[in-house]
Amino acid sequence: MNGSNTNSRDEDRRKDSSNTTLTSLNQTLRNVQGLLKGRSFPGKVMLTRRTDPLSDSSLRSPDTDRSFSNKHAGTSEWLDDSVEDDIQSKSTPSTNSTGNKSRTSTSSGEDTSKESQKSTIGARATDSARLMKFTKALSGPTVILDKLRELAWSGVPPYLRPTVWRLLLMMPSLWYKGLGMTSAVHCQQGYAPTNSDRREVVLRRKRLEYLDCVAQYYDIPDIQRTDEEITMLRQISVDCPRTVPDVTFFQQAEVQKSLERILYTWAIRHPASGYVQGINDLATPFLVVFLSEFLEGSVDDWTTLDLPPEKISDIEADCYWCLSKLLDGMQDHYTFAQPGIQRLVFKLKELVRRIDEPVSRHIEEQGLEFLQFAFRWFNCLLIREIPFHLVTRLWDTYLAEGDALPDFLVYIFASFLLTWSDKIQKLDFQEMVMFLQHLPTENWNHVELEMVLSRAYMWHTMFKSSPSHFSS
Amino acid sequence: MGAYRADDDYDYLFKVVLIGDSGVGKSNLLSRFTRNEFSLESKSTIGVEFATRSIHVDDKVVKAQIWDTAGQERYRAITSAYYRGAVGALLVYDVTRHVTFENVERWLKELRDHTDSNIVIMLVGNKADLRHLRAVSTEDAKAFAEKESTFFMETSALESMNVENAFTEVLSQIYRVVSRKALDAGDDPATLPKGQTINVGGKDDVSAIKKVGCCST
Repeated sequence: MNGSNTNSRDEDRRKDSSNTTLTSLNQTLRNVQGLLKGRSFPGKVMLTRRTDPLSDSSLRSPDTDRSFSNKHAGTSEWLDDSVEDDIQSKSTPSTNSTGNKSRTSTSSGEDTSKESQKSTIGARATDSARLMKFTKALSGPTVILDKLRELAWSGVPPYLRPTVWRLLLMMPSLWYKGLGMTSAVHCQQGYAPTNSDRREVVLRRKRLEYLDCVAQYYDIPDIQRTDEEITMLRQISVDCPRTVPDVTFFQQAEVQKSLERILYTWAIRHPASGYVQGINDLATPFLVVFLSEFLEGSVDDWTTLDLPPEKISDIEADCYWCLSKLLDGMQDHYTFAQPGIQRLVFKLKELVRRIDEPVSRHIEEQGLEFLQFAFRWFNCLLIREIPFHLVTRLWDTYLAEGDALPDFLVYIFASFLLTWSDKIQKLDFQEMVMFLQHLPTENWNHVELEMVLSRAYMWHTMFKSSPSHFSS
Repeated sequence: MGAYRADDDYDYLFKVVLIGDSGVGKSNLLSRFTRNEFSLESKSTIGVEFATRSIHVDDKVVKAQIWDTAGQERYRAITSAYYRGAVGALLVYDVTRHVTFENVERWLKELRDHTDSNIVIMLVGNKADLRHLRAVSTEDAKAFAEKESTFFMETSALESMNVENAFTEVLSQIYRVVSRKALDAGDDPATLPKGQTINVGGKDDVSAIKKVGCCST
């Protein structure tokens, strides 16, 4: 933490001199850092005031693709609730963004003193407040998806994850079909009025559909498969045993078989890309989260997949549909020559050039191509680069981003890369390639990840209103 | 990295690629050679990975810059970009999976389509420790290598068998090719590889470089 902290401060200093707009946001960032470290800090006031100068030009753009955006500038899972609400209440008058109106301001003099207390206490106190928000969002007769996304962006409490992820990934698209509602109406309203009975019906149908697919495509003799299908199945069976190999749970044959069924079924039903190495990694967060409903403790404690076959099949089905939904927005990441990834790598390079010119110049001078390190980041969505226990938290944000995820990845990865801005500038070509291939994140915890996400959010807010730097 | 740490003090820098089907053990061959490490739990390679190691050939320090590539077909478009400028290649198959040997021919074509004709190629039958599972005979592989004029060796990254030899042999052969060319070119080592080999990934457009005036060791 100390390292990245000093790092970003140095960055800040550089930017301060060149860009006055950045100054205010860097101040925000510092405040966030203070809060993340659990220091008591007059963050509420600073957070709000300091972002004000920017707000008219970029923060409060009404045609924002993410209606909840401005409230998240610099907030994180562990940020105090009242801070969030305070930003909210101050920004509401000047914004016409949707979704805000339902919120009520809770800011008061009492909150201020409570807040500084809570900040020092840290995660626990914050957690209960966030929990209540989640419970409230999930308990009504209908779930407002925008609201849920907004909450999920900053992290979902582990025990609610299965429910929230299913809602974010499995329900919306099903909803259109299930009720014959037009998607236009649906999008306009921005919520999926899923009552729990209907949810169950939808889930049951989807799980049966998955079972059918497995029977039709997977549980057949090889003689009924084409050569390409055999090659694909072979590739999947080579990769399953080496999926998250550092977590012992994944070493079990049954777990690997489940993974194989999910991946092969997905691949057969998505012939434009088929199975591509790395997609195996992408299925694992779903598997872990949906299993967490039935297995005690964390994935590190799990030893056997001791569940009835129907349960396993349900879990597989949910993984399958969630994986499908996630990848629907990124199909061309895995088609021939992977143009989607190449495009995003290019955007990353441009964004880094804009944010941190010295690093950008150094990388270029050394002849390092962004593709040489960032390809895997996009291909596996950073799963390979951070400890596995942080992956589900990262995915809360991914899934909350929804359709906007591919573009937002560019910001997350820029933020991730620039965590080591100072270090990178001291390395030559070979050192840089090796450093970036094995980034020292093994001791990372939530704090470091939240930092990456907050900064990504901040840069996204700054740059999205001036996208001309991507036009070339 | 310890004793294996890549050092800047070298006479020659050679770019070498590791290719072959998925799961034949390319990454473990590389980690065995560059870090003396082996992992039964290694993950699949996505895109390319990179490592270096320097060895002595004759009285010269030869530094190998080795690019380990993903084996899956879909990555071919990405990985073949890294063949550019390679002066050596280890084409790896798994002696326990015959299909990986059958695919060697396609890999060879791929390699010859993208690299200089002088490239030194070694066919490597890995996982030779799994004797009871062997599916490709040494004779078949040797015959194929002779037919295609490549070098050949069976290795075990797990048992550390022949790994050192395989890489050393490739690097020595490259060294021989390069120094022969140096003689042809009038013994001016500084000029030797220019124009025929390219991009190591670094700024300099060379993949077999002789450093001038730094060879006191």
